[in-house]
Amino acid sequence: MRNVALGAAGLAAFLALGEAVPRLGLVKEAYFPPTSRIASALGDELSDDAFWHALGDTLTGWALGLAIAVCAGVAAGVVVSVVPYLRAATASTIEFLRPIPSVALIPLAVLLYGTELRSVLLLVVYASFWQVLIQTLYGVQDVDPVAEETARSYGLGTWARVRHVLWPTALPYVMTGVRLAAAVALILAITAELVIGAPGLGQQIAVAQTSQAVPEMYALIVVAGLLGLIINVGARTVERWALAWHQSVRGEVAV
Amino acid sequence: MRRLSAGLAAGALLLVGTACGSSDGDSPDAGASSDGVTTVKLGLIPIVDVAPLYLGQKKGFFEKQGLKLEFTSAQGGAAIVPGVASGQFQFGFSNVTSLMVAQSNGVPVKAVANGIASTGVRGKDFNGLMVKKDSPVKSAKELEGKKVAINTLKNINETAVRQAVREAGGDPDEVELVEMAFDQMPAALDQGQIDAACVVEPATATIRSQGGREIASPLIDVAPELTVAMYFTSTQYAQQHPDVVKKFQDATAESLAYAEAHPDEARQIVTTYTKIPASVLEQVVLPKWPAEANRPSIEALMKLGEEDGLFKKMPDLDALLP
Repeated sequence: MRNVALGAAGLAAFLALGEAVPRLGLVKEAYFPPTSRIASALGDELSDDAFWHALGDTLTGWALGLAIAVCAGVAAGVVVSVVPYLRAATASTIEFLRPIPSVALIPLAVLLYGTELRSVLLLVVYASFWQVLIQTLYGVQDVDPVAEETARSYGLGTWARVRHVLWPTALPYVMTGVRLAAAVALILAITAELVIGAPGLGQQIAVAQTSQAVPEMYALIVVAGLLGLIINVGARTVERWALAWHQSVRGEVAV
Repeated sequence: MRRLSAGLAAGALLLVGTACGSSDGDSPDAGASSDGVTTVKLGLIPIVDVAPLYLGQKKGFFEKQGLKLEFTSAQGGAAIVPGVASGQFQFGFSNVTSLMVAQSNGVPVKAVANGIASTGVRGKDFNGLMVKKDSPVKSAKELEGKKVAINTLKNINETAVRQAVREAGGDPDEVELVEMAFDQMPAALDQGQIDAACVVEPATATIRSQGGREIASPLIDVAPELTVAMYFTSTQYAQQHPDVVKKFQDATAESLAYAEAHPDEARQIVTTYTKIPASVLEQVVLPKWPAEANRPSIEALMKLGEEDGLFKKMPDLDALLP
């Protein structure tokens, strides 16, 4: 309860600062509007159909991209860990590809797919795939050899061992990867729209920018922030739910 | 079982996001035609310049020709030329220097219809070389040793600013050109990060409203009535679909003429695809929308561009222009 109150107080102070700084003339109102102006611009946006379409487009890119990245990341992670020698063979390639910033692929995305949803997906999937893959790899490595040997001596097949030994061990790691990927996917979806011009919130921000509509631009940026917040809370909720049986979550609840 | 339900919940969360809908859901294939209506994708930047086509679409000029335009906004315009060349868009909107550079680099582009021209009236053009209210700079010559912002280096505005300095009797090589997005120029000028900015509407209107002064009209220094931007397609598409290109040209000509004759309606349509505030839009100087490109002005632009070293080899205007 105290955390909620503190959080609210922090947010209120932040909003008040946003109101005061331009009002006091520390920055020009024309370039950084006070909170109240941004709030009223946000109100206008909420009554605009184009805004809801843009929000839908952004969420579509985010959700599809994240879904593909999670499926591919988990599958690739498990296969790479389970198949002998594959981990060693792919380690350097993964470490080479992983740090390449997704935005560096923008020219490639535009060339392949123009300004469509597929361009956004390419960037989103590329960025979030590694988060899931790396976490899955770590998770699989964490399997207790004794449990693994026990399962083997009880005659469990490969699939049964993946299902009953490997997966429960890896799941907490995977969920961490999914949570990180969810945030990264949103950032990349909006960045792609902003830079490429694919339909969505990012494109709306860019239009507001070129239109010299400063309060509207900040209003849309606030929406992007709120979206990030909601996605983070959602991802944490899903994580807790999926890991309700796990000691880390059970421990948290007991305290 | 519990884990399974958690998995289902996560899946459902993803589906909810997808179900929010997408605005480009059922777009037909590029250039596909059905019931005699051909849908063409047009890559453009959502700015005042392209108002005639939005107006023409609304007025049914394109429908009359059996065309339906699908506007695809490409931010900054960098994606438009590759987009058209690779067939993502059938048509695009780009400035003439970009088209000449593309052609000289072997990118197969072909201009098909006029876009915009400068108004040719000094101090009343949509583009201007501006300084802030209390700047000591009075003419473009005095920009020697100063920092001037343009939106893209090695493009039309570099040619124009250099020519403005030259016309004023200065040495363009002494001017420090920096790259900056148009929308950031008013603030940068105000904060003194740059000494002058080569801006277009609506940033021109913003700077004017802050008391900024115009020290030159660079596009007019290039040529009295410069053709600044045009609609174009790929040479391949022009060869394969001469009928569609002809229809596009006819409808565009009608749209340009209508917008030129009805500036209030043009201003009105701008509010539907940009977020320019009404107070700013009133102050915006509209470009000219003549039906035909002004070839001598493009030749002048090409000559200056060549002097500034923009082209690998001389563009072939006979092949490029309609």
